[in-house]
Amino acid sequence: MKSPALWLVLLALSLAGSARAEDAKLKACFVYVGPVGDIGWSHAHDEARKLTMKALPWLETQYVESVPEGQALPVIDRLVKGGCQVVFTTSFGFMDQTLEAARKYPKVVFAHATGFKRAPNMATYMADFYQIYYLNGLMAGALTKTGKVGYVGAFPIPELKRHISAFAMGVRAVNPQATVNVKWISAWVSPVKAREAAEALMAEGNDVLAFTEDTATVVQVAGRKKVPSFAHYSPMQRFAPDFVVSGQLVHWEKIYIDFLSKVRNGTYAPGKLQEVDYWWLLREGAVEMGGQPGVPINPKFVDALKKAQMTVGGKQVSVHDRVQELLKDMSSSKPGFDPFTGPLQDRHGATRVPAGKTLTKEELNQMQWVAPGVTGPVADEPK
Amino acid sequence: MIDEMLQALLRALSFGTPLLLACLGTLVNERAGVVNLGVEGMMALGALTAFSVATETESLWLAVALSLVAGALAALLHGFVTLTLRANAYVSGLALTMLGLGVSGLLGNRYEGAILLEPAPELPFTVAAGVLAVGLWAFLYATRPGLVLRSVGENPAAADVLGVSVGGVRYLAVAFGGALAGLAGAFLSLAYRPAWTDGMTAGLGWIAVALVIFVGWSPLRAVLGSLFFGLLYYLQFRLQDQSRVPTELFAAMPYLLVVGVLALAGLRRTQGSAPAALGKPYHRGER
Repeated sequence: MKSPALWLVLLALSLAGSARAEDAKLKACFVYVGPVGDIGWSHAHDEARKLTMKALPWLETQYVESVPEGQALPVIDRLVKGGCQVVFTTSFGFMDQTLEAARKYPKVVFAHATGFKRAPNMATYMADFYQIYYLNGLMAGALTKTGKVGYVGAFPIPELKRHISAFAMGVRAVNPQATVNVKWISAWVSPVKAREAAEALMAEGNDVLAFTEDTATVVQVAGRKKVPSFAHYSPMQRFAPDFVVSGQLVHWEKIYIDFLSKVRNGTYAPGKLQEVDYWWLLREGAVEMGGQPGVPINPKFVDALKKAQMTVGGKQVSVHDRVQELLKDMSSSKPGFDPFTGPLQDRHGATRVPAGKTLTKEELNQMQWVAPGVTGPVADEPK
Repeated sequence: MIDEMLQALLRALSFGTPLLLACLGTLVNERAGVVNLGVEGMMALGALTAFSVATETESLWLAVALSLVAGALAALLHGFVTLTLRANAYVSGLALTMLGLGVSGLLGNRYEGAILLEPAPELPFTVAAGVLAVGLWAFLYATRPGLVLRSVGENPAAADVLGVSVGGVRYLAVAFGGALAGLAGAFLSLAYRPAWTDGMTAGLGWIAVALVIFVGWSPLRAVLGSLFFGLLYYLQFRLQDQSRVPTELFAAMPYLLVVGVLALAGLRRTQGSAPAALGKPYHRGER
């Protein structure tokens, strides 16, 4: 190799190679509705983003936090101009604007979390908790002495109605007379409202609390008053180590890694996404039961849950065993149990799921009714 | 029933504490004639300062002290912009709110989701706020410095003629207002909800601003006013689905009441009890 020309050729080749490697970076961008530190929803997505970055070396990411629900479009405009090839929008309220953006930028891949509208270049995805809410409900039903379980809800959207209903069905499977009393705070992140709502619930005699909003306030407030509670979304057991029974944990990275790998290898591209709808549950490992990873049930509550009995198919079993059995079943490749299997009625007595039928994910995604046992005002409820 | 009322009163006391602290501070700087809409921002800065100091040093005293300093420094920035540079106080206050929320979010990032393992009790804050209210009332109406402060807010030109440093008094009052807003923030992050979350002031600063007008710039009425607003806040959850009155009405009540009070004052063709020179910049030699 004495010829300088050969060196030049080699140099040119290596440059081209590295340039191709540069081109091959995929840029995925995330639009969050809350601050990444809310230790709830947006935080979980951002943790997943970091884990995805670690798993996929060719991935480049960017995020914008605390985007008001009406203002996603200008943010997406900016991100697309900045070279984002994949845009994830992570709030139900971003749905229509994401669709608009998908039409505006047909060559960009969009994926919207929790929605039900799709386009040739817009997929939907969800890591859903309804199975875990049912299991948490079983435990709540076993632990309540007053028969009143309190629930702090953010907004009465289908996702929360589904979760509250699954939770209430679990509570009632153990304690048929119990009620799940809901207070709405009309905010995703408002520790002040969450605290007063939790205080009001405890004042009304609710002796177990659960919630769906984006702070750990309920767990912390309940813990101070020695009331058991269920965590939501993030590892919150540390906020009240003796009083968090269990909860839901999310692993959005399972979906992000799968989705982005398929974008990378061309399985998913603009034009191919109309039917792509992730609905990942326990089976796919997108969600986990517990107040901290690896701890499905806080050991402090195991004895009480073993003592509590419930009737399943005419037989007495302990609530603890039932929870473990269902968790195992729903985590298997072919789950046999689904809480939304008929016959089911709504709280006004109208039949919502006939016997033998199970709600489809579309029905679950658009659920407006709530299950019997839920008390409190529920907006957009069919009469 | 008695239990219920006691419970509601306790909630009103707890939630009313940051309202009263921020309200008293704002009331003092408005008594000196300065409008500061930055309460929410100063509160957020106070909350972050208190939380970070308590986490790093484990000293609640230091945390409280530095929250006062943080609030006062932020307020002095507002003072500099409006009193010295003569910028519009409303714009400056709004900017301070945005700045405070933004800065506390940014610097607070590393504490996101952190908990205070040894939270401060709520009661000392509540007691301090009550004592402060009585003290301020005595100060404003029974002492000479209190008279000077009020005169600066009512008629700065006359005060100036009498040899009072209008700018000096206003700077002090603004700093005091900021310190109390910072303390209100410290209450939130040390005692009320001993954890850090971005946006944890959640609009309380604005309720405090509204409360000042509602209580007619009187420290004693501020006690009742903050209890009342605290009660309304709690009731919007407590009465959810338990009364025919939509609970949204309770949430909107503080603002509706303020609008009502202003409308009444307008009908009576008076300024209500607002300090006469409130929001009017004073420059010696100009009328």
